[in-house]
Amino acid sequence: MTDKSKLSRRRFLQAAGSTLVAGVPALAVAQHEPAPDESTAQTPPSLARLLRKADLPAPKGPRVVIVGGGWSGLSMAKYLKLQNPAFDVVLIDRQPAFLSFPLSNAWLADQVDLEFLSHSFFEAARHHDYRFLQATVLGFDREARKVYSDAGILDYDYLVLAPGIEYDYARIGVEDPVEQQTLYHRYPGGFYSSSELLTIKRKIHEFKRGTFLLNVPNGDYRCSAAPYERACVMAAMFKKHNVRAKILLLDMNSDITIMKDAFSRAFHDLYADIIDYLPSSMISNVDVAGRSVETEFDEYSFDDAIIYPPIRASRLLEEAGIVNPSSPQKTADTDPFRYNLVGDEHVYITGDSRSQPFSKGGHTANSEAQYVAEVIAGHALGREVVWRSPQTMCFSTMDIDPLRAMSHITYYRYDEASKDFAFDRIHSVDNWDVTGGQASLAWAEGLFQDMFYE
Amino acid sequence: MFRHPRRFRFLAGLFALVLCPRLYAADPVRMVLEFQPDRDNGRQVYATCARCHLPEAWGNHDGTYPQLAGQHVNVLLKQLLDIRTGKRRNPSMRPFVQERTVGGYQNLVDVVSYITDLPMDPAHNRGPWPEATPEYAKGKTLYLDNCSGCHGASGEGNNEKSYPRLQGQHYSYTYRQAIAAKRGLRKVNLGMLAVVNRLSEEELKFALNYVSRIPVPKKDLAPNPGWRNPDFK
Repeated sequence: MTDKSKLSRRRFLQAAGSTLVAGVPALAVAQHEPAPDESTAQTPPSLARLLRKADLPAPKGPRVVIVGGGWSGLSMAKYLKLQNPAFDVVLIDRQPAFLSFPLSNAWLADQVDLEFLSHSFFEAARHHDYRFLQATVLGFDREARKVYSDAGILDYDYLVLAPGIEYDYARIGVEDPVEQQTLYHRYPGGFYSSSELLTIKRKIHEFKRGTFLLNVPNGDYRCSAAPYERACVMAAMFKKHNVRAKILLLDMNSDITIMKDAFSRAFHDLYADIIDYLPSSMISNVDVAGRSVETEFDEYSFDDAIIYPPIRASRLLEEAGIVNPSSPQKTADTDPFRYNLVGDEHVYITGDSRSQPFSKGGHTANSEAQYVAEVIAGHALGREVVWRSPQTMCFSTMDIDPLRAMSHITYYRYDEASKDFAFDRIHSVDNWDVTGGQASLAWAEGLFQDMFYE
Repeated sequence: MFRHPRRFRFLAGLFALVLCPRLYAADPVRMVLEFQPDRDNGRQVYATCARCHLPEAWGNHDGTYPQLAGQHVNVLLKQLLDIRTGKRRNPSMRPFVQERTVGGYQNLVDVVSYITDLPMDPAHNRGPWPEATPEYAKGKTLYLDNCSGCHGASGEGNNEKSYPRLQGQHYSYTYRQAIAAKRGLRKVNLGMLAVVNRLSEEELKFALNYVSRIPVPKKDLAPNPGWRNPDFK
C-alpha cells in the first residue's frame, strides 16, 4: 500500500479490517462486519460515508485538524486562528454541544444553572472563524496526513490530538469489558461524558437514606480537587434537605492529594456527621449487582455510588500505535516542550491526554493551548517560540446557599536536575467564603468567554 | 508598610451622545473624579487578584503574568478600565474587573494604590544579553532613540500620562506584548504602534533586553527573591 492516492473504497474497507493501511487503526465499526468478499464487492451504504471526503470547503491555507472539543481543543482552535489567520482550522468533536465539567459540582447543588455550563460549538467556531465538525474520529494516517472520521476523510497539515481521557476500570479490578460498561452505566464517575453528570444529579436528588459511596482514584487523575469537592457539595445538599445519608469517601491515595488541611477541616468541621473519609483504600473489585466495593482488607456495601476509576489517555492514541509502552496512563512519546509526537512535527498532543505531568483540568488545558498554538503557528511561519509554563487555577465549592469556594493556583517549571517538570509557585486560598464563590463564577465565565465568544 | 495616603486623580472620558436629530455626534465630555485611596481596603480587594497574580504581584518569569508590583497607579487603573470595557482584550480577566465583582472606582483606586506600593521582584526575568555585548549596546541605542521619549531614559514610565514603567518588568512579558502589538493581537496607542511597526522583532528584543537590565532603585525592591507578602500569610 505505497500509493495512497490509489486507495480505492473497496481496498480501504478490506484494509480496515486488517490494519493494512500504515497508521490507520482498525475501524471499530468495520471490525464487526464480515470482511467484504472480492466477488460481492459492494460497499455497505452505512460505511460509504467513511470513505468520502468530509463536507468542508477547500482549505485556503494550511489545515489544522483538532481532535476533541474540550477545553484544550476549543482554546487551541481560537488561538491558532489568532496566531496565524491563514490556518484553516477544523475542530472535531463527537458531542453536539459542550457541557463544562468545571463548575459542574456547583451545578449538582443548583448553584449555577445548566445554561451557565452549556455552550454551542457553532458559537465558538463563528466567533473565532474556524469550522466545527460533529464527528467521531476513527483514526489517522500520519504518512498520508489524513484523519478518518464517520463524517468522512480530512486532509491535514497539522493534527492536534486533544481527545482527553478514558476510564481504566481494569485498575480497580473490573476487567471484563461488558462488566465495565455495566459499572459505567450504573455508577458513572462524572468525569467523562455529560450523561454521567445528568445521572449523578438525579441520583443525588433522589437519594433518601443510606450510604452513598464515592472514591478518589490514584494516579494523575482529572481534576485533583473535584472528588473531595463533590463529597462536600453532596454533604451540603444532604444537610440542607435533612437527608439521613452517609458519604463514604474511599481515597485510593494515602492522603488527601490537594489542599489537605482545608478539606480535612471541611470534613471535620462542616460535614463530620456525613462524610466518612477513608484514605489508603485501594479498590480491588466492584460488585455491581451486589452493590459493594472491595478493597485490600475490607468490603463496603452501598446504596448508591459514584465510582471514579483511575484514568488513562484516550484509546485513540493506543489504536494509532503511538503509545509509550512504559507509560502507566498510556500516553505517547512527545517533546515535553513543543508537544509534538517525537519524530513528527505535524502531530501534537495536548490537554488531558498529554504526556507531561501537569495537573489535568480545564485551566491547564486553556493556558497550555495558548502556548502550543504559538508553537504550531511558529512551525508554519518559521518563528521561534520560547517555552512557557501552563497554569492550573482550580476552585473548589465547599458549601452552598450561598456558594462558598476556595482556590488553588499552580505554576510549573522545568527542573534541570531531575530532567522533569516540577511545581514552581503554588498559592492556596483555603478559607472558603462567598468572595471565593463569586471568584469561581468569574473564573468560569471568563474562560467560557475566551473559548466561545470573544 | 503604610505610607502617606496619596491623592491622585484620574480621568474618565465620558462620551455624551446627545439624542438630538440634528447632531451626528457630540464632543467628548471630560469628567475629573478624585478619590482618596484606602490602602487597607485595597489589600482586601487585592485578595481576589492574588488568587492568580499571587500575593507579591510579581507575575511569573516566563511572562504569562506581568509584574504588577511597583507599577504606576494610573497605568494599573487604565489597564483595569480597558480590560473592564473590552478595549484591551483579556476575556478571562474581564469578569473579575466588572463593577459587579470588584466594585466601583473607589475599590479600583484602593487596589492600585495597594499594588503600586508592593516591593518588586529583585530577580525579575532579564533578556539574554548582558552589558558589554554588542546586542546590549544596540538595544541601548534603540531604546533611547525609540522608547525613552515616553517610557523614560531609565524605563521609569510616566504616571501622569499613564505610560507604563518598564524598569523591573519581565523581559519575557514586555517582549511578548511588543510582539502581540506588532502582530495586531494587542491594541496600543498610535505612538506605540508606530514604534513596534518601525522596529524589527530582533530590534525589539535588543531594546527590551536593554530595558530589562536597567537597575531598579533598591528602595523599590523586596529584600530577596524569597520574600513573601506578609499581608497574605
